[in-house]
Amino acid sequence: MQRLLLLLLLGQAAYAQTTVSGRVTDSRGRALPGANVFLKGTYDGANADSTGIFRFRTTRRDTSTLVVTFVGYEPHTRKLTLTPPETVVSVRLEEVASELNTVVITAGAFEASDERKMTMLKPLDIVTTAGAQADITAAMNLLPGAQRVGEQEGLFVRGGSGLETKVVIDGMIVQNPFFSSLPDVQQRGRFQPFMFKGTSFSTGGYSAQYGQALSSVLLLNTVDKTNNNGLSLSLNLASAALSYDHAGEKASVSGSLYYGNLRPLFALVRQNVVWTREPEFTGSSLTYRLRPTRNGLLKFYGMYSGSHLGMVFRDPSAESNRTEIDQRNGNAFATSTYTDSWDEGRWLLSTGLSYSRNTDDMTFSGQDVGRFDERTQGRLVLTRLLPGNHSLLFGAEMHQLKLESAVGGTRYALRETYGASFVESDIYLSRKLAGRLGVRAEYSSLLGRLNLAPRLSLAYKTGAFSQVSLAAGRFYQTPDYRYLYRNTALNYEKADHLILNFQVIKNGRTFRIESFYKEYNQLVREFTARPGEEAGFDANPYRFPWGRTDNSGFGYAKGFDLFWRDQKTVKGLDYWVTYSFVDTRRLFSQYLEPATPTFASKHNLSVIGKRFFTKIQTSMGLTYTFTSGRPYYNPNHDRFLADRTPAVHNLSFSASHLTRLGGNLLVLYASVDNLLNTRNVFTYRFAPDAEGRPGKIRYAVGPQSYRSFFVGGMIMLSKKAKLNTNDL
Amino acid sequence: MKTILLFAALLLATPSLFAQSAAYKEAMTAALETMKTQSQKTPLPEMLATANQFERIAQAEAKEWLPRYYAGLLYVYAGFMGKDAAEKDRYLDQADRFLKEAEGISPKNDELSVLKAYIAQARMVVDPMNRWQTYGPAFEEAIGEAKALNPANPRPYVLHGSSLYHTPEQFGGGLSAACPLLTQASEKFATFKPASELHPNWGQKNIEPLLGKCAK
Repeated sequence: MQRLLLLLLLGQAAYAQTTVSGRVTDSRGRALPGANVFLKGTYDGANADSTGIFRFRTTRRDTSTLVVTFVGYEPHTRKLTLTPPETVVSVRLEEVASELNTVVITAGAFEASDERKMTMLKPLDIVTTAGAQADITAAMNLLPGAQRVGEQEGLFVRGGSGLETKVVIDGMIVQNPFFSSLPDVQQRGRFQPFMFKGTSFSTGGYSAQYGQALSSVLLLNTVDKTNNNGLSLSLNLASAALSYDHAGEKASVSGSLYYGNLRPLFALVRQNVVWTREPEFTGSSLTYRLRPTRNGLLKFYGMYSGSHLGMVFRDPSAESNRTEIDQRNGNAFATSTYTDSWDEGRWLLSTGLSYSRNTDDMTFSGQDVGRFDERTQGRLVLTRLLPGNHSLLFGAEMHQLKLESAVGGTRYALRETYGASFVESDIYLSRKLAGRLGVRAEYSSLLGRLNLAPRLSLAYKTGAFSQVSLAAGRFYQTPDYRYLYRNTALNYEKADHLILNFQVIKNGRTFRIESFYKEYNQLVREFTARPGEEAGFDANPYRFPWGRTDNSGFGYAKGFDLFWRDQKTVKGLDYWVTYSFVDTRRLFSQYLEPATPTFASKHNLSVIGKRFFTKIQTSMGLTYTFTSGRPYYNPNHDRFLADRTPAVHNLSFSASHLTRLGGNLLVLYASVDNLLNTRNVFTYRFAPDAEGRPGKIRYAVGPQSYRSFFVGGMIMLSKKAKLNTNDL
Repeated sequence: MKTILLFAALLLATPSLFAQSAAYKEAMTAALETMKTQSQKTPLPEMLATANQFERIAQAEAKEWLPRYYAGLLYVYAGFMGKDAAEKDRYLDQADRFLKEAEGISPKNDELSVLKAYIAQARMVVDPMNRWQTYGPAFEEAIGEAKALNPANPRPYVLHGSSLYHTPEQFGGGLSAACPLLTQASEKFATFKPASELHPNWGQKNIEPLLGKCAK
């Protein structure tokens, strides 16, 4: 019996030991010191040494599974037949696809995001840029590809008009992204920059997911949860605001209320505009976010804002040169989105519903020129991630629009149903070469036409830190509704884009160059000449088109832009430079012949520097911008739009100081716009003289004020901070 | 004879079971011994070698959260030591992976909440200016979770206290904010008993130099 036991025990001890040895390398044969090599399900294993060599012993026999892991590399598994005394095996590991070693499709897009590490800007950069006054669109105006215009709101991208850019929040088109437009006064965007976790400013060649923008889309993604908890108060020269955030385990809610009145600011900063009633505005917003399932996220955002103001506008056609305007605006926007994912993120769903309504009760010299619009939209996008980074996306959207305007006693109204569906696929041929192929189909009930817009992007990684990208696509846009009021036989306006981009991101420095060619076709032209009369041009920016219209317009824009950011050379200093060059001509609207449009400037330069001074807890920034002269209409000149305004310079400064007041975080900020008090001119207009001879008096349209300043502060009465003190 | 045969059969059938738990304890003890000798001055490859040791134990023991916890903890240390942001994030991604695995085995575990907070802190340190908004609240949330799950555990207080110690006063940090928490941590250490020799029991040494400054 004992013999039996002994035999059994001996039998175990007599198991032969096998040495497993070999070398671990990367795909190029370089050693991977520290790689972890082991037999699955056992303690037998070892680390690769400094030359990638490993060696360990095992009592396992026959077959086993060898596993090799190393941070940053795909785990390697293989069946191994163990043959004593030594089994030699060599292993090559493949690098995990990461932002650093995989090409990203970038042509035409300029991203600011916290989620992706390799972006050129962070959302915070947008808020803290001097000269942008914490306005998202003003900050976008400092990016390459954007053109600064000054006397009207909107994003003017690469020779495109403000109407050619659409603002999209969480996939939904925003009908009225700016406060209601006024003649010759630039309006701010309606949305607070802190609402957004990511921004992507497309300067062309954008995804088939979006449409109805000939030049560009500005994509804004709202935050998934509140960053603050508790009450915060803010007070500045123009407004007072109150906001409250509360975050629970599954749901969070944020609400805000504000009241603004520009009278105190205008009393301190000399105005170039004659205000008969200083702008006064109120607003409120509510955000609710809920996580009903592990990956599902429901967001609701609703806002209402109202404003009232009165001003005097110098109308070039009115002989008195004085038109009194009174405007009351009511704007509501509600959007809700739901996103979810299944099957370990291989299926992604993104849906949304939104409603917006805008009323402008407006009078021009007592005449009703009111506007009304309403938009309801729904959207659904489904994405399937496939092995090897490939993905396939498909979706659809539907919009219902109602538009009304009153002009000179006549009321115009339009109803439109717009639908679109799109398919897009990302294809990775290797980690170095990727493509994005998409197509979008759109239908407008108003035009009664269908269009088909193909889009293509390619990206190739030229080095560890650099890549080139190419984008091409066709883009359609329904003409300005003011033309459609009188003529619904019009066709879509069309633009074709071709973009080539090269970028290097390395070690705190970024360089990017992008060149583009954009061709416009089917642009709407208006013929204002009455029979027997010579064609004229009406420079009034607020004119209502009354002439015959067709789609015979065309044009082009070409050029390049540069971006350089350096966070490395001077310790603590972060600066970036952008430059855009645009050469563009087009025949459209009531243009008499092909010409560079009045909103296009050839050169746009901006230099932005920021530094945080730790000792005084203060961040300071300087921004310099240069915009070369723009064409303006001179009725005394034979050649159409041949005159140019002087260049526009602006140097602005901003500082923000962080401190504590009674245990609460307090942020104080101050800014000065146009430090050098440059007398900038955006455009010139001509008005009749005292004898009524047209085009004899020239007047300049400039900024609302020359040098101006702004101060304010915000305090966070954080509930959390109080809890912490109780905790102690 | 029959019983003996049965016994022998049992002996043959069970060695893996016996051996495994003994092997587990032995392997863990060995890895913990190595870990104890390591500090911030240890070269990174040595630290990662220890993390590998824990990873090997983890893959052999599908039901144990501890080897995953220690592997994760070592990757957090690596996350502080990496040479650039990309490398640091890579280690912290790895730490997150071990944390997730461990949480799958042992949900609602105060030590794992501490690890979660530690990862958030390390993520924030990589790029404080751009990351405090995301990882500051994540850190506090995880600390709160750990305190709620086990009020006797000193480690959430260690992390919270030392984090406040390194936060500028303007942001609510500084010595005066940190000291009460550090004192609480040291009081809790006096009575804290880990569940076993293999369970986490670190932190006292981390706060001693800071406590010295509080006393003054």
